[in-house]
Amino acid sequence: MKIGLEIHVQLNTKSKLFCSCSTDYRDSKPNSTTCPICLGFPGSKPKVNKKALDYGISIAHALNCEVLSEMFFSRKSYLYPDMSKNFQITQFEIPLARKGYLTINSNGKEKRINITRIHLEEDPAKLVHVGGDITTADYVLIDYNRSGIPLCEIVTEPDFSDPKEVREFLVKLSTLLEYLGVYDSSLEGSMRVDVNLSIEGGKRVEIKNMSGFAKIEKALNYEVVRQKSVLRKGEKVVRETRGFDEAQGTTKTLRTKELEEDYGYIFEPDLTKIEISKEWKQGIKTTIPELPDHLVKRYQEKYDLSDYQAKVIVYTGKDFSRFFEECCKLLDKHQMVAKWMITHLLKCLNYQGIRIKNSKLSVENFAKFLEMMNKGEIPKRLGKEMIKEITMTGEDPEEYLSKKGLKMVSKQELKKIVDKILQKNKDAVKDYKSGEEKALDFLIGEVLKEIKSAGDPKQIREIIQASVAQ
Amino acid sequence: MQVKEYLSNVRDGQINLEEFLAELIEKTQKMQEKYSPFVTINEKIDIKSLKKGNLYGLPISVKDNICTKGLRTTAGSKILQKYVPPFDSYVTKRVKEGGGVIIGKTSMDQFGHGVFNINTPFGVPKNPWDIERSCGGSSGGAGCLVNIADFPHVAIAESTGGSISCPAAFTNTVGITPTYGRVSRWGLISYANSLDKIGTMSKSVEDASLLLSVIAGHDPMDSTSIELEREDYTSYLKNDVKGMKIGVPKEYFGEGVDKKIKNRIWENIKLLEDLGAEYEECSLPHTDVVVPTYYIIAMSETSTNLAKLCGLRYGLEKEIKIGESFNDYFSRVRKEGFGDESKRRIIMGTYVRMTGYRDQFYLKAMKVRRLVIQDFKKAFKKYNVLVSPTMPILPPKFSEIENLNPIQTYMLDILTIPPNLAGVPMISVPGGFSDDLPVGMHIIADHLQEKKMIQVAHTFEQNTDYHKKQPVKK
Repeated sequence: MKIGLEIHVQLNTKSKLFCSCSTDYRDSKPNSTTCPICLGFPGSKPKVNKKALDYGISIAHALNCEVLSEMFFSRKSYLYPDMSKNFQITQFEIPLARKGYLTINSNGKEKRINITRIHLEEDPAKLVHVGGDITTADYVLIDYNRSGIPLCEIVTEPDFSDPKEVREFLVKLSTLLEYLGVYDSSLEGSMRVDVNLSIEGGKRVEIKNMSGFAKIEKALNYEVVRQKSVLRKGEKVVRETRGFDEAQGTTKTLRTKELEEDYGYIFEPDLTKIEISKEWKQGIKTTIPELPDHLVKRYQEKYDLSDYQAKVIVYTGKDFSRFFEECCKLLDKHQMVAKWMITHLLKCLNYQGIRIKNSKLSVENFAKFLEMMNKGEIPKRLGKEMIKEITMTGEDPEEYLSKKGLKMVSKQELKKIVDKILQKNKDAVKDYKSGEEKALDFLIGEVLKEIKSAGDPKQIREIIQASVAQ
Repeated sequence: MQVKEYLSNVRDGQINLEEFLAELIEKTQKMQEKYSPFVTINEKIDIKSLKKGNLYGLPISVKDNICTKGLRTTAGSKILQKYVPPFDSYVTKRVKEGGGVIIGKTSMDQFGHGVFNINTPFGVPKNPWDIERSCGGSSGGAGCLVNIADFPHVAIAESTGGSISCPAAFTNTVGITPTYGRVSRWGLISYANSLDKIGTMSKSVEDASLLLSVIAGHDPMDSTSIELEREDYTSYLKNDVKGMKIGVPKEYFGEGVDKKIKNRIWENIKLLEDLGAEYEECSLPHTDVVVPTYYIIAMSETSTNLAKLCGLRYGLEKEIKIGESFNDYFSRVRKEGFGDESKRRIIMGTYVRMTGYRDQFYLKAMKVRRLVIQDFKKAFKKYNVLVSPTMPILPPKFSEIENLNPIQTYMLDILTIPPNLAGVPMISVPGGFSDDLPVGMHIIADHLQEKKMIQVAHTFEQNTDYHKKQPVKK
């Protein structure tokens, strides 16, 4: 089985690729973030957003690609209603970069997925199919807000040998791009993937325009089964383009292509050749932050995390790993931070369906919470419940406890009180020493009375036992 | 009255601008009836909104492929017959900032597709020297209007392969096509973007230089616009060609060129020699391949530029039939909206960039263009300017044009295409007459050396009176 990917990533620049319209279109009124350039008005001309080039070069570096020293934009011609000009400005024979790789983990082994090329292009407008899907809709609306959003297309070699690898790669790539700060994975449709898949004895089939890693894996698994069963029946797998029907979990034919589509590429004559100097490339290199693979290694070394822990923290996202590091600055108990983040905090966030960067919980309060847990100021049984609530409310843990009347007396304070109670009840101490367990319960009761139950009986018992044993 | 004098009279209040412009609108309407230089006459000139700049009150016409905010811009085509741009082109913005008055949009072959300004559903401009004859194209309306205007006026025109020089030659006017990138193309409805140049047409070299000084200059909205300081082109109006080295490309005096025209130009070259210039015959060896090279590039680009005119966002809006697919609808709109010549260029342009032909035609043409540029670069190492006929023929009769096939028509661009393809500046000036019809003389300079050609052109003009000759009114 051979699988290759074409991944379209929306770059999170402030303005579009060829005009100064905002890229923040998802919450905007349809067709409001547009201008004569992204609407392709007769007489308008594109102008390259240099920031998008910076981002492209940065991606190329991170994927170990060779960045070419000069590049051109080209026109890719096809008539389709989502294209304001009926051609797309993209890159053809001379892309931004080529020949790179990204390593993934496949069945416990490292595997290199080769990158063929990386180029920049403009996103077409968004078509809204009303009353059905692309084949059944009553009518179609066009929203040009998306028209001209910078896309970085990453093309891989057909190096994947199963759908699981594809998912592993996409997760890794998505995380990498997010760490680079060039893309926002939380935005709907910010990464769209076309997949080319062929199995032994069949022709190459393209499945277009999918997003969501789990969904893609599912679509590919379906497609593999479908192709195998076609061959088993003695029929032929034909060269075609298919689409994924999410509702049914199946793929269906969009168009068969006997011939390669002819896009009649020419160089974009409204734009000049762009030279990418060594200084420019080098300058971008210095802005590249620490990337996931390196981070995983560093967490293992610096914070003594396991491979698993480090990976979970890093791959949950840039905001999550940053939260971890900030928290470790405030609290020396790195294992505790890691454990709580991975087992409890992550669960709370997933439950709320948000990311740590959108949560009300501050690093300070999280660290304080852990510190208090550590000191026994919070009953252990309350910990899980409490983290859930303060993640939602963002409350200071101390205030939370006072409000709930659950503020615990600290261990130190508790020791003093225990001493006082033992002094007062020497008889009971004597009884206890002589083996009367009930006397211990009495003493615990006295302490709890004194602190108005703001303490963990188990902890009090331990303190009394230790004190009596001296 | 020269433009300069007029401007100073308006400034001094010696001319009542309101009366002058009211009268001008009437005049243009009469001219339109007789000669059809316009696609649209601007009938809502608002004097109060005119800025008191260096062009204050100057009537300026604009070729109809250059966007004018709020004023219909059709590019000479039916498919854009209702297009009213919501923004100004760079050049019209500059004109408005200077206080110029845009009096109308001049006729052209649709999208610049033509040599005679006959490929348009609007009126075909008639040559003032003989109304049976063509004004040339594609900026035929501009040439026509410059000639017949009996009021101070300059025209903004545009050339891709000779669309300024050709009508200048046929109407006995001055046309400057500047270096590619000198004038921003922002707001120009592209024919072939890598070749399109906005320039000027006028009655004299001085008027042309004056307007060029206003519209040239760097514009960040056009990525191909050259980043250079503004120049005052009127400062090159010197009556002096002493020591100027002129190259005379022998290929431009070849078989297809009318003998009478050749003789006329040779006499002009001799005059320049008498005035102190030196000339020498030279060679531009790639001249024989420029026409196909040009047409491959121009058609490739134009076929993509025009794709957007499909009736969805731009172009004729038609009722969509039930069950009609996108492609069927697009085809129906385009079939009706484009003229034959545009269809021909779209089809050929699509063909030469198809897989399998792309290498053979499109990419090869891109390479040959470099060779043509090298021809010129080599020549300009030796010469300040090159001088030749502008057009190989005298303005033809419409009845003669009917008998030309497309290839014969394309070959008429043979003298104007090479400098246009190379992106070097050129000026066509009135070079005398033959059979009572005007002959254009072409002066070509190296990239960014407009000053040289302006100097030679001005000197020639000062020492001849061809540019002052007017057709005998019949």
